[in-house]
Amino acid sequence: MMAYIVKRLLGAIPTIFILLTLTFALVHLAPGSPLDGDRPMTPEVRANLEAKYHMNEPLIQQYRRYLLNIAHLDFGTSFQYKNTSVNSLIAAGFPVSLTLGAAALALALALGIPLGMLAAVHQNHTADYGAMGLSLAGISVPNFVLGPLMVLVFAVYNDWLPAGGLDGWQSYVMPVLALAAMYVAYVTRLMRASTIEVLRSNYIRTARAKGLSGFRVFFVHVLPAALLPVVSFLGPAAAGILTGSVVVEQIFGIPGLGRFFVTGALNRDYTLVLGITLFYGIIIIGFNLLVDVIYGWLDPRVTY
Amino acid sequence: MPERRLVSWIAASCVMLVVLVAGCSSDRSDFPNRIQPDIHADGTKVLRKGNGSEPGTLDPHQASGVPAAGILQDLYEGLVITGHKGGILPADAKTWEISADRKTYTFHLRDNARWSNGAPVTAGDYVFSFRRMVDPKTASPYADIHAPIVNATAIINGDKTPATLGVKALDKHTLQIRLDKPTPFFLQTLAHVSSDPVYPPAVKKWGDAFTQPAHSVSNGAYQLKQWRVNDKIVLVRNRQYWDNAHTRIDQVEYYPIDNSKSELSRYQAGGLDWTYSVPAADLDAIKANIPKQLHTVPTLGIAYFGMNVTRAPFKDNRKLRLALSMALNRQVIVDKILRGGQIPAYSWIPTAVQGYDSVRYQWADWSDKRRDAMARKLYQEAGYSDQHPLKAEFLYPTGGIGKTLSLVAAAMWRKVLGVEITPRNEEWKVFLQTTRNQFDTQIFWGGWIGDYEDPNTFFSILNSHAALNYTGYHSAVYDKAQAASEHVPNGPQRTALMHTAEAALLHDAPLMPIFFWTNHHLIKPYVKGFVPNPLDNYYSKDLDIVPAGTASQTSPPPANDKQENH
Repeated sequence: MMAYIVKRLLGAIPTIFILLTLTFALVHLAPGSPLDGDRPMTPEVRANLEAKYHMNEPLIQQYRRYLLNIAHLDFGTSFQYKNTSVNSLIAAGFPVSLTLGAAALALALALGIPLGMLAAVHQNHTADYGAMGLSLAGISVPNFVLGPLMVLVFAVYNDWLPAGGLDGWQSYVMPVLALAAMYVAYVTRLMRASTIEVLRSNYIRTARAKGLSGFRVFFVHVLPAALLPVVSFLGPAAAGILTGSVVVEQIFGIPGLGRFFVTGALNRDYTLVLGITLFYGIIIIGFNLLVDVIYGWLDPRVTY
Repeated sequence: MPERRLVSWIAASCVMLVVLVAGCSSDRSDFPNRIQPDIHADGTKVLRKGNGSEPGTLDPHQASGVPAAGILQDLYEGLVITGHKGGILPADAKTWEISADRKTYTFHLRDNARWSNGAPVTAGDYVFSFRRMVDPKTASPYADIHAPIVNATAIINGDKTPATLGVKALDKHTLQIRLDKPTPFFLQTLAHVSSDPVYPPAVKKWGDAFTQPAHSVSNGAYQLKQWRVNDKIVLVRNRQYWDNAHTRIDQVEYYPIDNSKSELSRYQAGGLDWTYSVPAADLDAIKANIPKQLHTVPTLGIAYFGMNVTRAPFKDNRKLRLALSMALNRQVIVDKILRGGQIPAYSWIPTAVQGYDSVRYQWADWSDKRRDAMARKLYQEAGYSDQHPLKAEFLYPTGGIGKTLSLVAAAMWRKVLGVEITPRNEEWKVFLQTTRNQFDTQIFWGGWIGDYEDPNTFFSILNSHAALNYTGYHSAVYDKAQAASEHVPNGPQRTALMHTAEAALLHDAPLMPIFFWTNHHLIKPYVKGFVPNPLDNYYSKDLDIVPAGTASQTSPPPANDKQENH
């Protein structure tokens, strides 16, 4: 297992390198410069700024300098937020995005897994239709509709939750719900399908024939096997939740990483975009590795 | 079975909607709007303002944009400030004298002007700050505003050192500023945030990080307490401020909310006292329900369509340019499309600029029929017809109202003249580059917001040397009159020069003025002291929060406003 993890971590280095190179090329290829603003600047001022950000050097040298700084975990200074390092922006935004994402993912699992199991056990009965109906609604209603609708109901018409901003745990309730809705739906459907499949398999029939209690059959034999597709979904789901929080952060005015990413791209903030891309890349690679390790632990057929 | 299944599915799908709609069961005509001033138990009054987008920096010499300016003028105070209704008021400088040749200004600082750490504000601090402002190393976007000061332009261009700037400390509290030429709007430029002083020891010690809350030292009515990027910026009362006794609001919180719909929700829910803007789509509902909280401010801003006069088809074709301009029904654009109280523009200087009466197109007052007929005549004289229509591209930046306006203009031009317009949008940064280069633009969307209250902030950008002159307009008459008007004292002679420039511009028509901007704010009734002004500049120190109870004792709320008090 340890050897596998080390191998995967070593394999991540070229991946990150390629990600960085591609992103670096793309942001520099995009027309428009981070230095362009509403007001044009004199050549002298422009030259000074270019020197400050080393933009007067050939691109290949800028690339080399950037890689060298990355090796020292220095993401550079943001263009948009003058005088602020990208490191400090990530340090400020990531805990918020992480809290939001982790809570949404936890909610997706906490609701989706029992709902899916319930639907599978009562296949083609009212509980099933109810759960599937809910999940259909969750998939169909995008968060940019659900978010403002919830704000209207819970904040504007009723004074139950804050309409936006970040003041205490109440501020997280609606964003987490808006972000989780789609993933609750996915997990429910995945869990239902896999549970139904496992329930029909031979070894479950054997277990029942041996006279095991229904409870034991379900929780010891069915559940671990049925969870496998959900676990493999966790990797892409975590990535999707982290990067997909942009809209939710915007609607609720939450100071997470997603907003930096979008405004950074629009403002051609080279360092900020590169820094966040790299950071996301590392997180996603890490999460995929974690999922694979859990997979091995849950499924005896998988060996490393 | 399939029907039962379908029915169940539909029923289940409705669960979520039912839950949501249940909350909305109250009458839809009801416009919830919570009136809850944020006053702490100890009496601390907090003003919560929506502030558009997140400022890039809180360094007065490097900042640009309205969101930063609003915060900075609470934090820092320059020699002078703009008054409630425009005009100039003393601030850090108690008095000043202007020499007979109007080239030397001597400012006397207040003895009791202090930084938030208790240190006195000295003339030396101002010398340091002005030099830093024009130093190309600072890379200030507004350095050119200070061009009237002796040697400023040479310093900005890197030809002289900042020490040669014509700003001198005569003693601890006396500051002398020398100008190259008399400049009638010089005091107005001193009210701009880029003229604010910074605390030299903090800048020297912390470098660019002096703007962080831990290091920030300011001389305005407030000081920086907290800055959470994309969440909020919190200012607290600066007890060292010379006029602190008159400050009523103890804490000001600025929230960067770039989505005006979200901002409105937060205002309605009681989380904001003041909005940065109002979504156009909600203006009708707001006017119907809380008209007294809606404030419409005509500002120093113009929206125009520019034409690239350096290339075909607009090069050397004044009649074509004028025909397009005349064929636009500005009244319809303002009344039917934008519906935000904007003012149709038939001149270059916004009506909100006080003390100047613009030259207007005389066809502004014609009937639509007569104007359209004249537009068609000019169009034909310019060499176009139904058989040979003008085909042109309209470039606008993505987002904002550019798209709507391009479609409306295209429809009007097609109807009146038969012009075929291809709208094209570009991301803001790309748009800036394209319009600046003048290579492949034809018609483009443009806007300008004045930096200070004088017509020159508009006239100067169309001088043929100006970097912001994206049309490529070059007129000897305009250039001469504009340049001369910068150095003549206010009075009939200066007005005549400006009229010459404006008349030349309207005649040559390198651009079509469309409308003058208005800004909208929603302000809760307990926020007192709001006076609209054309710069849309408000100092929090002039405002107060008076709880509803207190207010109702003196003046009961009007009957038609009862829905506001939930």
